[in-house]
Amino acid sequence: MGLRILSVIRQVLDAEESVRIKDGMVDPSSSKLVLDTMDEYGLEEALRIRDAQPETEVVALAVGPARCEEALRTALAIGADRAILVETFEPLDVITVGNVAAQVARKEQSDLIFCGGQEADWDSQAFGAAIAEYLNWPQLTWTTALNLEGRTLTGTHDIDEGTESFSVELPAVITTQQGLCEPRYPTLPNIMKARKKELRRESFESFGLHSRLKFIRSEIQVKERMRRIVDGKDGSAAAQQLVEFLRNETRVIG
Amino acid sequence: MAHLFSLTDEQQEISNVAKKFAATEIAPHALEWDQARHLPLNVIRSTARLGMGGIYVREDLGGSELDRLGGVLIFEGLATGCPVISAYLSVHNMVAWIIDTFGNESQRKAYLPRLCSMESMGAYALTEPGSGSDAGALSTKAVRDGDTYVLSGVKQFISGAGVPGTTYIVMARTADTGSRGISAFLVEDGAAGLSFGAPEKKMGWHAQPTRQLILEDVRIPMQNLIGEEGQGFKIAMGALDGGRLNIAACSLGGASAALEKTLRYVTDRHAFGKRLADFQALQFRLADMATELEIARTFLWRAAASLSERSSDATVLCAMAKRFVTDVGFHVANDALQLHGGYGYLLEYGIEKIVRDLRVHQILEGTNEIMRLIVSRSLIEGLK
Repeated sequence: MGLRILSVIRQVLDAEESVRIKDGMVDPSSSKLVLDTMDEYGLEEALRIRDAQPETEVVALAVGPARCEEALRTALAIGADRAILVETFEPLDVITVGNVAAQVARKEQSDLIFCGGQEADWDSQAFGAAIAEYLNWPQLTWTTALNLEGRTLTGTHDIDEGTESFSVELPAVITTQQGLCEPRYPTLPNIMKARKKELRRESFESFGLHSRLKFIRSEIQVKERMRRIVDGKDGSAAAQQLVEFLRNETRVIG
Repeated sequence: MAHLFSLTDEQQEISNVAKKFAATEIAPHALEWDQARHLPLNVIRSTARLGMGGIYVREDLGGSELDRLGGVLIFEGLATGCPVISAYLSVHNMVAWIIDTFGNESQRKAYLPRLCSMESMGAYALTEPGSGSDAGALSTKAVRDGDTYVLSGVKQFISGAGVPGTTYIVMARTADTGSRGISAFLVEDGAAGLSFGAPEKKMGWHAQPTRQLILEDVRIPMQNLIGEEGQGFKIAMGALDGGRLNIAACSLGGASAALEKTLRYVTDRHAFGKRLADFQALQFRLADMATELEIARTFLWRAAASLSERSSDATVLCAMAKRFVTDVGFHVANDALQLHGGYGYLLEYGIEKIVRDLRVHQILEGTNEIMRLIVSRSLIEGLK
């Protein structure tokens, strides 16, 4: 039996879209939603493994409202073999989603999990760590190159001190970052076939979890610019003026 | 007619892919290619991996086997990045469609895999210096000689002529019986006696070469005849139904991109103490541009559906769509230029390029006057 790879994906606002707020919540209903680019890198890596080892199965997982089906269909069109949607309208925190993903991985007997190193919307960077923690698997974050031989995954990733080479025996959780690879486009024949691929729905309730998140309200940050220009003809006078301005008016420095 | 008012998820996804490819791989370079008169073959060939080398070709030889609506969604999407690149792909796909539809099995097997992979590009040669709208009067000759045909004549305004490795479909006369004496031939690049005129200097469409195709006693195997002798005009006109939908889609994509640039401009630019977008005269104009594009799009989908279904009025609907959508597309692009003021006239804003590119869509694939002729003939003949 080949490898089983779980590619966790998220549906997010298109980066070109402006954010709208309705009833104190971000309202995505009238905006264009896309598959998070960060997750596309993970999916691409999974598909490359399948290209090299054709018996591999790539399963895409999304946790969220019914509309996430679109993002999963995109993942199927790009090449995932089948998809799972854990459906919920409840806004979830990443730790809870990580718990769901871990439970799915156990049930699916996954060998390898890919997810984005950060998320285009919440940007928590805790998602991969949460999955790894629940499964007690090693995690490699912010990967920049990957190569799988048998069940040994080698590669490089970014750490605070620079770049680190690693080697890990599966199972493992891998998080991606921009530039890890160049994600492929869905092909026209695969788009037509995506509808026929299996998309299984599960209810969030069946996982016995509750969101730890309580939404108070969302608002759009308005940046007011003061539009003050310091005359730079006399350098030292301009510096003096700038320091005074930063100290007394904006209180940026003490 | 399920396609009329909303797209299926698959169709939406097809449109998304084409737009994403256009935004990522085409739009950032479109002005540069325009200025350098550069056909970006590497970018064009990379669409083959997405299945755009044989959009209508059956799957057994590597095609995507989509219907006409799928096609117009692709060409509109790609044209949001550059109408010229999109139109070049449209011609390529027209050639592949002709071979898939009218070619025999050995022609399909010989040509379609490399057209689908875009190892070879396709070009289509009907128009001549002395026959444009009156295509049935063409004079390029094909004379049978043993098991070969010998072609001689000149083809005018051939898009993509001279691109290395191109497969040409050449319409030539095999009998002096008007449009019934025309036959379709496959001519490969490198054939002895095949040469090209100098690249034409044009108002727009700079990113693809337009040249004469010169045939001086070009000898080709008789197996290169597509269909039967005398079937050429029917093949040519059949191909143009689809070509007209696609060129209309290219106008739609170009004009949509111009409208989008305009929306960004009018919300950014201030005059007399407010945003341009706050002037009602301009708001009304924007509303009209968007409305006309949406009408054009809706009708184009209908015409595309009719061609896929091979309904009896398909040719008329395709002619109506070509005429209407390319006119609307040009006017919307021209309005977009006007709303940009002096900046619209500058290359770097990317609007004047769209205007230049879309202008020729009212002329090629049958002029819009010929489209009116097709429509009026059907009206008047309907009275009989």
